[in-house]
Amino acid sequence: MTNLMRSLLRWELFLIVAIVLELLIFSMITPGFFNIQNLLFSMNDFAYIGLAAIPMTFVIITGGIDVSVGSIMGLASISVGVLWMNGVNIWLALLIALVVCIIAGLINGLIVAFTDVQPLVVTLGTMFLFAGIALVISGGGSATGYEGISGFPDPFVEVANGMILDIPNVIWILFGVLIVFGTLLHFTKYGRSVYLVGINSKAAKYSGLSTKWIVMSTYMLAGLGGGISGVILTSYFSSARADLGSTAILPVITAVVLGGTSILGGKGTVLGTLLASVFVGIMNYSLQLSGMPSEQTTIVVGIILILAVLLRQSKWTYIKKRVSREKNQVPKISE
Amino acid sequence: MKILLKLLQMRELSIILLMILFFLFVGSINSEFTSADSIILLLSGSIILLVLAVGQSFVLLTSNIDVSVGSIMGISAAVGGTLLVDGSSLMFVIISVIGVGALCGLINGIGVAQLKIPAIIMTLGMLGILRGLMLIYTEGMWIEDIPSYYKMYAVTDFLGLPYPIWVGIVICLGAFLFLNKTKFGRYFYAVGDNLDGAKLVGLPVKTVGILAFVFSGMSASVAALIFIMNIGFVPNQTGSGIELQVIAAAVLGGVSLTGGVGTVLGAALGAIFFTVINNSLVYMKIPAYWNSAIAGLLLLVIVISDTKFQSYFTKRNQAKLSNQHIESQGLEDSSP
Repeated sequence: MTNLMRSLLRWELFLIVAIVLELLIFSMITPGFFNIQNLLFSMNDFAYIGLAAIPMTFVIITGGIDVSVGSIMGLASISVGVLWMNGVNIWLALLIALVVCIIAGLINGLIVAFTDVQPLVVTLGTMFLFAGIALVISGGGSATGYEGISGFPDPFVEVANGMILDIPNVIWILFGVLIVFGTLLHFTKYGRSVYLVGINSKAAKYSGLSTKWIVMSTYMLAGLGGGISGVILTSYFSSARADLGSTAILPVITAVVLGGTSILGGKGTVLGTLLASVFVGIMNYSLQLSGMPSEQTTIVVGIILILAVLLRQSKWTYIKKRVSREKNQVPKISE
Repeated sequence: MKILLKLLQMRELSIILLMILFFLFVGSINSEFTSADSIILLLSGSIILLVLAVGQSFVLLTSNIDVSVGSIMGISAAVGGTLLVDGSSLMFVIISVIGVGALCGLINGIGVAQLKIPAIIMTLGMLGILRGLMLIYTEGMWIEDIPSYYKMYAVTDFLGLPYPIWVGIVICLGAFLFLNKTKFGRYFYAVGDNLDGAKLVGLPVKTVGILAFVFSGMSASVAALIFIMNIGFVPNQTGSGIELQVIAAAVLGGVSLTGGVGTVLGAALGAIFFTVINNSLVYMKIPAYWNSAIAGLLLLVIVISDTKFQSYFTKRNQAKLSNQHIESQGLEDSSP
């Protein structure tokens, strides 16, 4: 266990070093880059990735995946918009939207836990389903189809655009989510059982855990994450759209995996996910500032993703080899 | 093995039956839907997805996944578009475009089979890299002015069917014969069904893994060639977001993500069914924004009921086997 902790810490340390290096290199290349205020505000553009990626870490640790999160963002956004347009108080609308997203997650979780269909297939189906429902709501609600709903009251717009103590609200929210989900994953019995399900689902079952409930709950958390992310985006743009998160799913998975969570399950931390999303976000921002069109930054992010996994992979096989060697040296007590 | 084959055949049969029922249902609401013209239109509309799904099933059969096909299609279309505008000969265009797709697939394959990077990560990375490269290559511009002789292929009939449909038929049959009638083709099933087993009996596991991605990449470039033909220009977003539709279509057609189960014909049928669902709503006078909700719901219902169905069958078979086992044991016990 201490070994595991150490190796995880090492990866997060690596990410922190990478972020510092990134800042140093770009402040050398681009004059006037190192402006704290600008950097903090650039967070607004990518915080939504982190908000969705942190709860997604739970799902991937159990060995699953949820590709419907992007659609859930759109569902959250359009729910807030349509409810508000029909005279519901904006804060109540926000709450209802989050509940809708948790229900969406529950649907994912129920199907994944109680059928043998693979998580990718299930969430692929619900991805189309939720995106479709969002479109239907938007079409039925305002008859404008793809057009957004705008004109939200100021307090709601302030949620993502305001500041407290000179720090953008979005960063506070991101920290809040990090602390809540981090505590849940790393310091509770529930969190430990999430890992156990990912490492060995059968062992978890035989040790008396309700694996089905745990798997289901991680999808509900992912749904909630998508909901929070969608609501924040709605507030940030001050416009509700059904297709708001349609391109978010790949960056979200990138953040989780780059943060050190194994796509095969059983390994990963919430802090790593957050650091990876910050790293990718600053990378995007800095490349754009130094004159690279935003679409082309995907090349750099793609290369980094592959290299990072290669790096971890080689370390992992090395560790595995060492462990197996040690096992061989131990006399056959365990057998 | 015979039972397994039968089940597989049933899967394709059930998709065809479902599709016929769906056709009759929509046709009963609007008879235009079942006219020959609209069916041919539907088929040509499904060819891009069909070709991609056939390519993807090679990767899925070896229990990997390729989410980079949309970007490979994009960059192939960009290369093909510029070559066509420059007035290169048709043969040269086709060969170089398919070469681009094969190269991208080769990189994916080496990453996954040689360097052991999980397929979803490798192809996710390539998705970003190739999309960015395409934008650098085109400088963010759309490619227009595709020569009209090339665009004409999309609507020119050959033996009563437009060229793209023939391309789809040839690729489908070719892939089916390769996978089911050649020894090397069977390796794809073996590798996907049991990787370690395949390794132990000495199959070229790595080559098979790499080739699967190469085929997937090539199918994406063929899809790009058809895309240019149909649309007549190459926008920046060519192919973006299609990867999940492709996987959905293959799954709909009975290809399993755990590898070793499914056929290319199933994948092709899945792609056609997916397109049929998306295009039928217009005929039923339902607004187009219902498309993805219905497609998603149908996908879920079909996949879930299929797994329930399959597990029922395997249970029944197991019960049969254990009954036989008990019977034979009983005979042994009573014999002395």
